[in-house]
Amino acid sequence: MTRLWSWGAFLIGAIFFALPLIGMTEFSLKMRRGVYSFDAYLKVLADPRFQETFSYSVLMALFTIVFGVLLVVPTAYWVRLKLPRARPFIEFITLLPLVIPAIVIVFGYIRLYNTSSWLPLTGTAVGTNILLMFGYATLSLPYMYRSVDTGLRTIDVATLTEAAQSLGAGWATILGRVILPNVLVAVLSGAFLTFAIVIGEFTMAALLDRPAFGPYLQVLGANRAYEPAALAVISFAITWACMGLIQLVTRFSKYTEAQR
Amino acid sequence: MSALPGGKPSSARTVISRLPLNWLGLAPFAVFAMLFLILPTMKIVLGAFQTPDGAFTLENIRGLNTDSIRSAYLVSIKLSVVTALLGCLIGFAMAAAAIFGGLPKWIRNPLLTFSGVASNFAGVPLAFAFLATLGPAGLITLWLRNSIGIDLRTMGFNLLSFWGLTITYLFFQIPLMILIITPALDGLKKEWKEAATVLGANGFQYWRMVALPILFPSLLGTFALLFANSFGAVATAFALTGPQLNIVPIKLFAQIRGDVLGDPHLGYALAFGMIVITGIANTIYIVLRTRSERWLK
Amino acid sequence: MSISKKLVASLVASAATIAALSTPVYAQSIDELYAAAKTEGQLTTIALPHDWCGYGGVIEGFKAKYPGITVNELNPDAGSADEIEAIKANKDNKGPQAPDVIDVGLAFGPTSKADGLTQPYKVSTWAEIPDSVKDADGHWYGDYYGVMSFMVNKDLVKNVPGDWADLLKEEYKGQVALAGDPRASNQAILAVLAAGMANGGKPGKESGDAGLKYFADLNKAGNFVPVIGKSGTLAQGTTPIVAMWDYNALSARDTLAGNPPVEVVVPKSGVLAGVYVQAISAFAPHPNAAKLWMEYLYSDEGQIGWLKGYCHPARFAAMSAAGKIPADVLAKLPPAEAYNAAVFPTIEEQAANKEAVTKGWDATVGANVQ
Repeated sequence: MTRLWSWGAFLIGAIFFALPLIGMTEFSLKMRRGVYSFDAYLKVLADPRFQETFSYSVLMALFTIVFGVLLVVPTAYWVRLKLPRARPFIEFITLLPLVIPAIVIVFGYIRLYNTSSWLPLTGTAVGTNILLMFGYATLSLPYMYRSVDTGLRTIDVATLTEAAQSLGAGWATILGRVILPNVLVAVLSGAFLTFAIVIGEFTMAALLDRPAFGPYLQVLGANRAYEPAALAVISFAITWACMGLIQLVTRFSKYTEAQR
Repeated sequence: MSALPGGKPSSARTVISRLPLNWLGLAPFAVFAMLFLILPTMKIVLGAFQTPDGAFTLENIRGLNTDSIRSAYLVSIKLSVVTALLGCLIGFAMAAAAIFGGLPKWIRNPLLTFSGVASNFAGVPLAFAFLATLGPAGLITLWLRNSIGIDLRTMGFNLLSFWGLTITYLFFQIPLMILIITPALDGLKKEWKEAATVLGANGFQYWRMVALPILFPSLLGTFALLFANSFGAVATAFALTGPQLNIVPIKLFAQIRGDVLGDPHLGYALAFGMIVITGIANTIYIVLRTRSERWLK
Repeated sequence: MSISKKLVASLVASAATIAALSTPVYAQSIDELYAAAKTEGQLTTIALPHDWCGYGGVIEGFKAKYPGITVNELNPDAGSADEIEAIKANKDNKGPQAPDVIDVGLAFGPTSKADGLTQPYKVSTWAEIPDSVKDADGHWYGDYYGVMSFMVNKDLVKNVPGDWADLLKEEYKGQVALAGDPRASNQAILAVLAAGMANGGKPGKESGDAGLKYFADLNKAGNFVPVIGKSGTLAQGTTPIVAMWDYNALSARDTLAGNPPVEVVVPKSGVLAGVYVQAISAFAPHPNAAKLWMEYLYSDEGQIGWLKGYCHPARFAAMSAAGKIPADVLAKLPPAEAYNAAVFPTIEEQAANKEAVTKGWDATVGANVQ
């Protein structure tokens, strides 16, 4: 009986998600008049900048994920353990990037960290990349924090910490070898969300003038009909594949053995 | 000897020396948030209270009290609550189905990775995908009308409406819910279900009296996230129902980004209003969560 | 004798100094400008989509004519307000995020000058730019204009409409859309102005009100589709008729290449011309490259580049009188009679119209919150 309900819920959900994708794909195949063809796709994939910008964005995404994990996991852990009264404020701050338009944030960056400021990040390519990474981390902060916080909620953080400390572990060991493996599923969810955000992000990369995938999508798709639909399908598929890869890599890491 | 968490301080001096140290643990996050979130957006908070010449004024905030803007806030809040609620319910159902529902194990990972991609599939591509499928000239709409004779319009379905926008928003709200609630569902130990069964509870009672109370804080937290996510979403609404729906982010963008002369200070006031509403929503969430957590440690 | 010579010499010197101080830099010789620009090495532009007015071709032409200067293109998606904000935010930034030159709607010219965001420069062909679209001091100058037209998907629309009044007919049910949100987009607001003019309103508040009434009627008749129309939605079928600038419609027609076949119609009444202006940022990191770019844009080559993108360049009247426009380029444009009736609303009229439309749209045409 449960299984019937489960399959029902799942299939209805699957149809809901598949339909718009089918509609979009069907349209993208219509570039040549009267027949279905992959013309739009060929046009998109033939562009050398597709590879350049996509690899740039994938690299940025990975850096952002690592930075996000290093920032959020210890913070969420510490708040849960020692500073429960700070939780409402931290949570409010992590919700802010959702309601503050990215364009305001990036104009703020340009004002604060330009070549004449105390932290001239925009003057060099490396500096701007770092600034962009911080921007991406800010955008994905809500999702990463909520994900990790939900994951931490399911484990008994206090007891684990006490046990580890009584065995002589320092903070780094506790975080790295006790807490992180236990919330890896949650961290992975946050990582997926971050990855998708970075790949698709446009405003920050465009205004900071970095060769990311988002601006490339815009430049290609602005006034066209079929190419944007093909691009959306391609980036959907490739992003999904990349996440699958991340999933596989973590599956083979020793951390998840405890879970299975 | 390192301090045990939750242990009582042994003397007044250790109380004083321990407090600042605890807050120091927040330092990296605080520095990051200050430098890369709060300072850059101070322009909004300050700009909301400034005239174009820089003088302090409450005029912008007072300017929010027009019919059009008030109704924009109401519509935005209504849209966000509805999409968050439905997103939570449906996302929960799907995640629970995948984890507990006896579905094959191989469904779980593709479901999670798909949810990752879908959660960020928003804006113009999403709006276009829905238009191409369920819009007035959409693939499915036409197929239903021509092959089966079902006219969605006469049945009351109109994609270009509040409910149509809700359905479109759900495309990224549901996956977000699935991704965030799955770790929490994983945390429900099998032993609890077994213990409940041994004590005579059926499935429904187990959920009502054991699982849901445990999950409730996480559900609330994710609802708050989904609310804020929907509240701030503009690109999808713009691309789908642009000239029709009156929501705050569109009004905000018209003032800050439009290519006619807007009033940026009104835009900042609008953004400030959104921050205030998010703060209020967050406070409600905290209060509810504290009450539900009282029985936990 | 020597005293008067000295007097004359000093008078001449002071006159020259006054002349030099009071006039903005007239075009130095192009070669000097080019040499200075090459030292700077880069030009940063913003908000120039390649399909808009043939900017793709124009940029390539510039790069070919002046090698050694890279063109760094920022944010092609930017609206006019974004460009102004980019200048303001990058005031102290000499990095590649700071735009050197901007291309904005007419109304933004005077306001950016007033805000001190532009620097004056008069190109060598300054005299041929009509007075009504340029700043006397050289801070901003009209670059091109187009007229409001209908882009029609011939697969889905059997009888191509000829005028605003036609769009109200039964046969166009659920087919007419705007190319933007009339509360924010210049293109959409001016479409409302054009519709208002066609219904007898004078440009300004009258046209705004008349246009709103027209769209309210269009909506009540069920002909208006509240979706932002683009070439994608036109091809897909949701918005088979879109009101947009003729240059956008024509270049979209070319990109679609007959799939679907598109006709671009300039309405018989209510022909509205929309002007954009160029300006150099007061804080441009590469001012000489910016000036060289302006010289290129206003040279015959640059102006024809815009014409190839279906935009009417500012020097159109002067150039066609001198016979400088190639016949084949001219042939691809819509017939000239359509443009003869074009109305160029002043900045004040546009502002009054914009006020009426942005304030009145929600109330009149209606936010359908069901």
